[in-house]
Amino acid sequence: MNRRTFVTSACLGTASLFLDQASSRAGEEVHLPPPPPIHVHGMPLAERSPFGMPGLFPGRVVEVFHSKSILENHVSQSIVRLMLEHGMQSLTGESSARAAWERFFNPGDVVGIKINPSGAPACYSSPELVREIIRGIESAGVPTRNILIYDRYSTEIQAGSYHALLPVGIRVIGLEHRARDVEAYDLNVYCEANFFGEWETRSYLARVVTQQITKIVNVPTLKDHSAAGVTGCLKNLGYGSFNNVARSHHAPITFTDPLIGVMCSTEPLRSKAVLHIMDGLREVWHGGPLTQLQDFIYQAGTLFLGTDPVAVDTVELQTIEKKRQQEGALSLWDRNPANIVRSEREYFRDPHKSLFFRQPAHIEAAGKLGLGVWEPSKIDHRRLDLG
Amino acid sequence: MTEAPTHEDFWAALLCDNSRAGGQGPWPRHPPQSARWQLRLEGSVRSAPVLRDGILYVTALDGKLYAIETVTGRPVWKFQAEDRIHSTPALSGDKILFGCDSGKVYAVDRRSGRELWRASAQAEVWTSPVTVGGLALFGAADGRFYAVDVATGTTRWMRNLGARIYSTAYATERQVYFGCSNGNVYSLETASGQVIWSAPTGNGLDSSPALSNGLVLIGSEDFYLYALDAATGSVRWKLATGLGIASSPAVAGNTVIAGSKDGYLYAANIPDGRLRWKTRAGWVITAPPVTSGDVVCGQSMGGGVYALDVRSGRRIWAAGLGESVQSSPVLTEDAIYLATTEGMVYALA
Repeated sequence: MNRRTFVTSACLGTASLFLDQASSRAGEEVHLPPPPPIHVHGMPLAERSPFGMPGLFPGRVVEVFHSKSILENHVSQSIVRLMLEHGMQSLTGESSARAAWERFFNPGDVVGIKINPSGAPACYSSPELVREIIRGIESAGVPTRNILIYDRYSTEIQAGSYHALLPVGIRVIGLEHRARDVEAYDLNVYCEANFFGEWETRSYLARVVTQQITKIVNVPTLKDHSAAGVTGCLKNLGYGSFNNVARSHHAPITFTDPLIGVMCSTEPLRSKAVLHIMDGLREVWHGGPLTQLQDFIYQAGTLFLGTDPVAVDTVELQTIEKKRQQEGALSLWDRNPANIVRSEREYFRDPHKSLFFRQPAHIEAAGKLGLGVWEPSKIDHRRLDLG
Repeated sequence: MTEAPTHEDFWAALLCDNSRAGGQGPWPRHPPQSARWQLRLEGSVRSAPVLRDGILYVTALDGKLYAIETVTGRPVWKFQAEDRIHSTPALSGDKILFGCDSGKVYAVDRRSGRELWRASAQAEVWTSPVTVGGLALFGAADGRFYAVDVATGTTRWMRNLGARIYSTAYATERQVYFGCSNGNVYSLETASGQVIWSAPTGNGLDSSPALSNGLVLIGSEDFYLYALDAATGSVRWKLATGLGIASSPAVAGNTVIAGSKDGYLYAANIPDGRLRWKTRAGWVITAPPVTSGDVVCGQSMGGGVYALDVRSGRRIWAAGLGESVQSSPVLTEDAIYLATTEGMVYALA
């Protein structure tokens, strides 16, 4: 029996045992199966970049709020610009927004903006925010032709109309155009694990990351996630830059902990992701990542900035958990099998139900891989209320 | 005053013809009973098929233009462009015109599949070229609007607007109308490219205009469906929807029908903008609907293909296949042709 065969049988055995337990012990806490070993085949670097996660400001999170940044679901471009300028200055300590952007970028860079269009058009990285990020990168001298946005699914990018809303010269790259489209991935950089006996056990990193761009600005959204608990900086970066990630879920089990952190720690992704700007203008507190139901989308009017994805995601987790408590929804940490449903329709409409035993601990796990600060007491959380 | 557009042959371009009136096929009200054939292409389809003389022309992200025989579903020929194709092909005489992501616009002989000429923009061309008065007119992502000689591909004029254009133009002999990513709707003089008027909306435009009753009808990412005076660009009315509108409106008599990203199809009275009905037809609608008699038919994300009653908005039938981000069905008397994001082409009868 080779290693892969062993992992397959071990994992499937544990999962099926768990399912039996779940059905017979409803109402009790459960013990989840351990993840299989994950083999990482990264790209060797001569030296780890000082910009790489957790970056220039470990443990620092700047939260910027403006009450008029989103009104009746319309995002204000001018107020987002103001919020981003203040946020960048607070993050870096620089006296001007331009100087703040220059801390990260120089004219020789090729910058990829990793958007999150998976909830488009109800909740996604706002084109208004992306336009302001482009403006900031350009202010540091990066030519427009050296800025691109990317994500895995071109259909979702198209649903967000990014192609029609961004400035001339910005390249818009969807990595996959239909199922099993692997053309855009680097077959030499991958994470390998067998979670549920799946046929393809590797997840490959996008070639645009390994070969084209020198730095990444990560623009996740403030959103819960049916499997990972929340989808923030880490989830957006890892699961949106590697392919074949849905295989880590098999309801109600998910191995987002630890796969998300492992992917983000893989080079060159780790070194290239230098800045994280979370779009919290809209907050999905239930039904993420794909919901289109406005009932669970709160217009929070907030941005979160940092170089440390673990710290930003820790704040995100607190924010969404607090909102769910206010709304009487299940905790993201809930482990009661009685609250698990198989019907996605039921889950999307009922915040007292889950599809998975969610794994918000993926953030802590990423912290323990050295990607950032996960202990709330150690996070330098700065709040700016601009009006 | 604008002129009535010259209609090409049946289903020659996006939304049936170069006026994009939204369809004219005599499809009956009943749901299709069977699949006559299905064909898997080598790439995802993000454009609408067009039909002439029993041949369906389909472009795909594998960079190919396919000519498919409607009786058998077999490809007659394929033409390989140099990059992905998002552009819906347009027929002009024996030429098929379409753009591709490298910025090239091709003219291909529709019988042989042989290239006749190619013109160049500086960035991708997702719009569908529209022909009028010997010109092929199209916008590009380089921020420019082009008029090329339809016989040779030679550029006759070009207008730099400085913002991306993904809106397929509506063209008459005198004026051409389209939307732009800077939020403006433009009207240019067809012969010269001079700007006649520009009208601002609240966000960029991904929708293509229709023209009816002297009004330019177009959706904006600012959530509104606009009716602009075709002569002056002044806003006659605008109708609020729940999210942005990338879907191009279709016209059926005095009714304009457009899909919104909120998943609803909206039908409004053209003269005054009064909402006649709204019906949910999927999670997200970005593809244009088409009309045929008293049926409006379209494709959505999360809802497949649907057919509604034009007068009431009530669902006549729906099917889970045919999911698409920007494709529209072709309706004929005896079949419906669909192309999908997964690269499937269906003939339903």
